Amino acid sequence: MSQLVRAELLKVRTTRGSWVYLIVIVLLVGLAVAGDVGSNAELRSQQEFQVGLVEAAGFSAVLAMILAITLVTTEFRHGTITPTFLAAPGRERVLGSKALAGTIVFLFFGALALVVVAAVALPWLTVTGDEIHLLDGEVATRAAETLLSVVLWGLMGIAIGSVVHSQVAALVGTLVWLFVVENLLVGLLGLLDGEEVTAYLPFRALDAADGTGGDNLVSYWPGVAVSLGWIALIGAAGVWRTSSRDIT
Amino acid sequence: MIEVEGLSKRFGMTQAVTGLSFRVEPGTITGFLGPNGAGKSTTLRSVLGLVHPDAGRATVLGVPYRELDRPLHRVGAVLEASEVHPGRSGRNHLRVQAAAAGIRASRVDELLALVELTAAARRRVKGYSLGMRQRLGLATALLGDPEVLVLDEPANGLDPAGIRWLRDLLRSLAAEGRTILVSSHVLSEVAQTADRVVIIHRGRLIQQAAMAEVLAGASGATRVRTPDAERMRALLAAAGISVSTTDDGALLVGAPPERAGELAAANGIVLHELSVEQATLEEVFLELTGGETTQ
Repeated sequence: MSQLVRAELLKVRTTRGSWVYLIVIVLLVGLAVAGDVGSNAELRSQQEFQVGLVEAAGFSAVLAMILAITLVTTEFRHGTITPTFLAAPGRERVLGSKALAGTIVFLFFGALALVVVAAVALPWLTVTGDEIHLLDGEVATRAAETLLSVVLWGLMGIAIGSVVHSQVAALVGTLVWLFVVENLLVGLLGLLDGEEVTAYLPFRALDAADGTGGDNLVSYWPGVAVSLGWIALIGAAGVWRTSSRDIT
Repeated sequence: MIEVEGLSKRFGMTQAVTGLSFRVEPGTITGFLGPNGAGKSTTLRSVLGLVHPDAGRATVLGVPYRELDRPLHRVGAVLEASEVHPGRSGRNHLRVQAAAAGIRASRVDELLALVELTAAARRRVKGYSLGMRQRLGLATALLGDPEVLVLDEPANGLDPAGIRWLRDLLRSLAAEGRTILVSSHVLSEVAQTADRVVIIHRGRLIQQAAMAEVLAGASGATRVRTPDAERMRALLAAAGISVSTTDDGALLVGAPPERAGELAAANGIVLHELSVEQATLEEVFLELTGGETTQ
């Protein structure tokens, strides 16, 4: 298994696309933090505001999911799934290795995003002479929650990619579901007096699991639990789909 | 070594393989022949555990591929040359496969040298020619120094020098005692390399035998050269023997030389040449598969 994980990590490292994610994370998170700190001169010395800055690192979660979907679907797109399965005919082991290798990459993404938050906010707040709370326990907790959330989003991506092997369909379908379908469902369920159900939708649950709470009806740990439930369910479908399909 | 028993596979409306059984003997090069769409790739992919057969089974080294321990050390395969990430370098492609099989990294460079890709090793596969991809595929198959090789159309995209190189490589690999199953439509190549052939058509087995046996069993022709070609032709036709004229004016007669010679002597026809034309694998193949092309 460790051989397969190493091979998966090598796959990530040896394609140029993977490095683009790092650049995007640095830019997106960096700009978000800069915008937040720059436009909130009167709030920025508060602890609550500084804990909230960590939210910007959450961008890395969506990127982790996109990379994860790609990690699986690229193999089908380019046919590399053939050599992959020749090396490891136990297909569930391949998917497991992708999840494990992915987790390492997701944690790296999350950690990078957190470093960017600190790298932008710390010097800025030092220069403006604001009181610094970024090293408080509350910030550390939020950072840990963010890391867990990035891993959950990434694992969701692995699960989705193992069900929907077409790269375009998986990426477009996921983003449409995330930004359109779930919102429509929330609206619809709201009309039908079913708001409490909306909290259990996959991306609502993942949202709740980043520690920010937001407009979600489930709190943190239930959010994590529901997210894991979705990942397990979609992942199981993915193992079945991947194992039963003919590689032609 | 490789055993296929009653293999059947349908894709949607297409019956790709039907009740196919054959054996590949250890230490031989076996040519796996059939027109395009005959079910060669489906069969090879079933042998390698990539396709789930509807019925029957395929084993390699006595077990289904999926049950092999350390499969890349036992069986090497080249399927489609396109199955490489275009953005990865050839060397990195091999490194990934080596890592998955727990093969030391130095082996990667050895193989790149063997398939003569060292100079292009760090270039992205996107820029490789089909022939270079085929050679990269061969290197991938040989990573684990396997005792069995399964190659699907490895000569595709190779230039004549490349084909010759491949033939020599396969021979030396077979001389080391490896078992090789190679599908091809370049029949003349198979004829020069293979010890045995398995011929399939429309998903069914047509023949499996030693190459010499296949060629011997085929109906050869007799080549006849005579200054009196027109009369000879008419006599043969009258005797109900098929006859055709070659480009150089000789007659190709569908009867043994004895018969053609006797007929000429009885009619006082002078012969300049009377010889047996050995059937080529190509002709045997066309005969067995009803003249459909291999392309």
